[in-house]
Amino acid sequence: MRTSDWALRGYVLLVFVFVFSPVVMSMIFSFNSDRFPTIPLGGFTTHWYETIFADEDFWKAAQNSLIVSLCASLIATFLGFCTAYSDYRYTFRGQGAYLGIILLPPTIPLIIMALAMLAWFSKVGISGQVYSIIFAHTVLTAPFAMAIIRLRLNQMDESLEAAAWNLGASEWRAMREVILPFCLPAIVSSLFLTAAVSFDEFTVAWFVSGLNKTLPVHVLEIVQGTIDPQVNAVGTLVFLVSMTLVIIAQLAIFFRLNRSAK
Amino acid sequence: MRRLNAYALTFRLPIIIWQAIFFIGPLFFMIAMSFFLVKNYRMVEAFEFKNWDKMLSRNYVWDSYWYTLGLAALSSAVASLVAFPAAFALAYRSSESVRRWAIFLLIIPFFTSYLVRTFSWYVILAESGVINAGLGYIGLGPYTMLNTMFGTIVGYMTLTLPLVVILQTVSLASADRSLIQASQNLGCPPWRTIFAVILPAAKTGLIVAALFAFILSFGDFVAPYYLGGSKPPTLPILIIDTTKAGQQWPRAAVVAVIMMVTLFVVAFTAIFLAYRKRGSK
Amino acid sequence: MNEPLVVLDGVQKNFGDFFAVKRADLTIEAGEFIAIMGPSGCGKTTTLRMLAGLEAPSAGDIRIGGKRMNDVPPHQRDTPMVWQSLALFPFLNVRENVEFGLKMRGVSTAERRRRAFDWIERLEIGEFAERNIETLSGGQKQRVALARSLITEPQLLLLDEPLSALDAHLVIRMQGVLARLQRELGITFVYVTHSHSEAFAMADRVVIMSQGEIAQIGNPREIYRTPANRFVAEFVGRNNILTGTIESSDTDQVTINSVIGNFSAPTEGIHQEPGSLASIVIAADMVRITREATDAENTVVATLISEEFVGSIVTLFLEAADGTEFKVQLQERALTDLDVHAGGQFHLSWATADAHLLPENNG
Repeated sequence: MRTSDWALRGYVLLVFVFVFSPVVMSMIFSFNSDRFPTIPLGGFTTHWYETIFADEDFWKAAQNSLIVSLCASLIATFLGFCTAYSDYRYTFRGQGAYLGIILLPPTIPLIIMALAMLAWFSKVGISGQVYSIIFAHTVLTAPFAMAIIRLRLNQMDESLEAAAWNLGASEWRAMREVILPFCLPAIVSSLFLTAAVSFDEFTVAWFVSGLNKTLPVHVLEIVQGTIDPQVNAVGTLVFLVSMTLVIIAQLAIFFRLNRSAK
Repeated sequence: MRRLNAYALTFRLPIIIWQAIFFIGPLFFMIAMSFFLVKNYRMVEAFEFKNWDKMLSRNYVWDSYWYTLGLAALSSAVASLVAFPAAFALAYRSSESVRRWAIFLLIIPFFTSYLVRTFSWYVILAESGVINAGLGYIGLGPYTMLNTMFGTIVGYMTLTLPLVVILQTVSLASADRSLIQASQNLGCPPWRTIFAVILPAAKTGLIVAALFAFILSFGDFVAPYYLGGSKPPTLPILIIDTTKAGQQWPRAAVVAVIMMVTLFVVAFTAIFLAYRKRGSK
Repeated sequence: MNEPLVVLDGVQKNFGDFFAVKRADLTIEAGEFIAIMGPSGCGKTTTLRMLAGLEAPSAGDIRIGGKRMNDVPPHQRDTPMVWQSLALFPFLNVRENVEFGLKMRGVSTAERRRRAFDWIERLEIGEFAERNIETLSGGQKQRVALARSLITEPQLLLLDEPLSALDAHLVIRMQGVLARLQRELGITFVYVTHSHSEAFAMADRVVIMSQGEIAQIGNPREIYRTPANRFVAEFVGRNNILTGTIESSDTDQVTINSVIGNFSAPTEGIHQEPGSLASIVIAADMVRITREATDAENTVVATLISEEFVGSIVTLFLEAADGTEFKVQLQERALTDLDVHAGGQFHLSWATADAHLLPENNG
């Protein structure tokens, strides 16, 4: 029993090593002076960071990424909130289909979404722009927003909204004074999580962006060339940004939820 | 039945309109597009089966199809098997707080930088990479790991393993513990408890986890392209090649529709198996 | 015209095929403390929610203060409610919760703060005014909920099982608080509960509901002593119900015949044909229990099955020869000369005047 427990623990550790080692490696190699990433390591350098910071393409891509993930997260969270609230508050015909249209996108391979959106956006003339990526990313991220906010609403006392009406708040006022404040942690969490997903998405972005690359698409294009340690530097930055976003998202929801669940 | 008012519509309508334009529209257009024609590098709207005939009669498409299907199935199996002991340990041999932290940590990679992590494997698995360097010290290798099926599977695991561990852990942890204890009290050896009690109790969650691994692997192009060497190309790579080179969007759409149909069949089968009542076998 | 504060006129509420309230006719006077009681699913909460405007009646009219309220949305009424779950706003502190109703009515910050503190003081939760709701105990939350609903000084306060989440000793204390507030403020309380003790302890009148219909309306004593039908008699609790065929019936007294004997009850103006089935009810605390036979008007011999103590009150459960159950309630100290033990034989007796003939015989 003892040994099997230790074996299991070791195994869990191995799984975590497998999951996190690429990230760690990427960070280490981003400071490695050798052009080709080999062991033993060369000397310490910040050369690759200097290279990318001097690269106009990088800054352009970073700017695009920022705009896209900011806008996509705002729109997706708005859509997710509306849908979650509708589902929470009302019972109506076609509710299953209604939930289906928001929850389905993550189950469809990104490459298919990419092709479908590229074709459709070209057809209606909204392809190849920064806003094309934003539209696409809202579809991909809204389900996450919806799920987070819906779970939060599940934790709400069923009578809370009615209590606000009962005390003289109209539906709109109750929305502002009760529903929104109650959902705030989930909304914050949703904003950060959807921003993270959007910030990392490259397949659809690559297809619909035309010349307006985002950071991950920029990475994709470097990778398609030769092995360039720049990738480790860009990758490390991208990873740090998205990891920060996801951690904030998790903290917002976990900590607030735990507190009010007691 | 409550009458619809402005308030209700304000919250109900946005997603319907938005998804109609940016989700349903694209999907249906893509299906329609698979029947379009391409003349002089321009797409012409039509309703012909030309693309379907072409694609379905090509051997390389079918090779690619079976290869992709096999890889995704293999990935799903490997992810499930590799994840299970870890999920088991987290569900039954860890405290509540350790489990929470583990899930907290595993959510991070699921939402971050798959591309960067895959590329990092490229560095780790390379002929002169970290693993071969390590093996070299003890006089082994070098082994070729890049551009092999092994490389592809490692890439798929990067994508799927965190999610599969999370889903399995949650479903195991929520399975009825009293059953497991009863089984142990009745003197069942541990591995029989796993097969006779734990697996059936957590069946739904385990199948759903495997299904997600399948869907993610089936649609991924990064792992088979960068780590697997794209020989033969998988369906997603086929879509990229067909789309990016030569404006053959309708043919890419054919491949995409084939993929979607396949996924539907697999998903429905999996869900049927997952929710089938026990004892009907 | 002096119309009662609240009038329910043939009110009905159905959700599809399900009739939550089949028909409710009820008038409530200003300043009354009325309890609506019944088992779960009897329609009592739906009735309350209709008063608050949270459900619209499917048929009939609801008038409050003479005004037809059917289509008035909840926020335009002044019918605050104390919720079973309390429904305090978790993201607001105590004072902000209490102020909520005034804030919605556009009362200035200074004014609503002053009034909130008045109520907070009145309910003795002053020291918690700026505290987070989560940090309060059940009883304190209860007081916040009360202050929050009373701050607009409504004519009508609705209470939906407000004490159901509290510990027994707190329930008694809060009953005192509620009864005192109601007296002092002169506000009409409509109090929904499934607890007899709460309803009977506080209410001026009790409405008993069953399966969407009002089974009886009356003051606690009437409900308890003269239940209108078998349902009420059983629901109200410690009643003995005896069924038999009518042997004789005159203007004063009716006698029924059953396997375990003949029993009489006052006729109370109800005429029933001899030979038809009828039931009479004797409250458990009206039954005398003795070791020896007595020459009382109505007697039965029964065997003790079990006993149950609640405070200083003891309830004895007995069984007559044919299996009819009897309940006898008495003070604990009365037991000492009785030598109770399971299996013991006892003589039960009661005065005819304490028996009550059920007006309708529904089995």
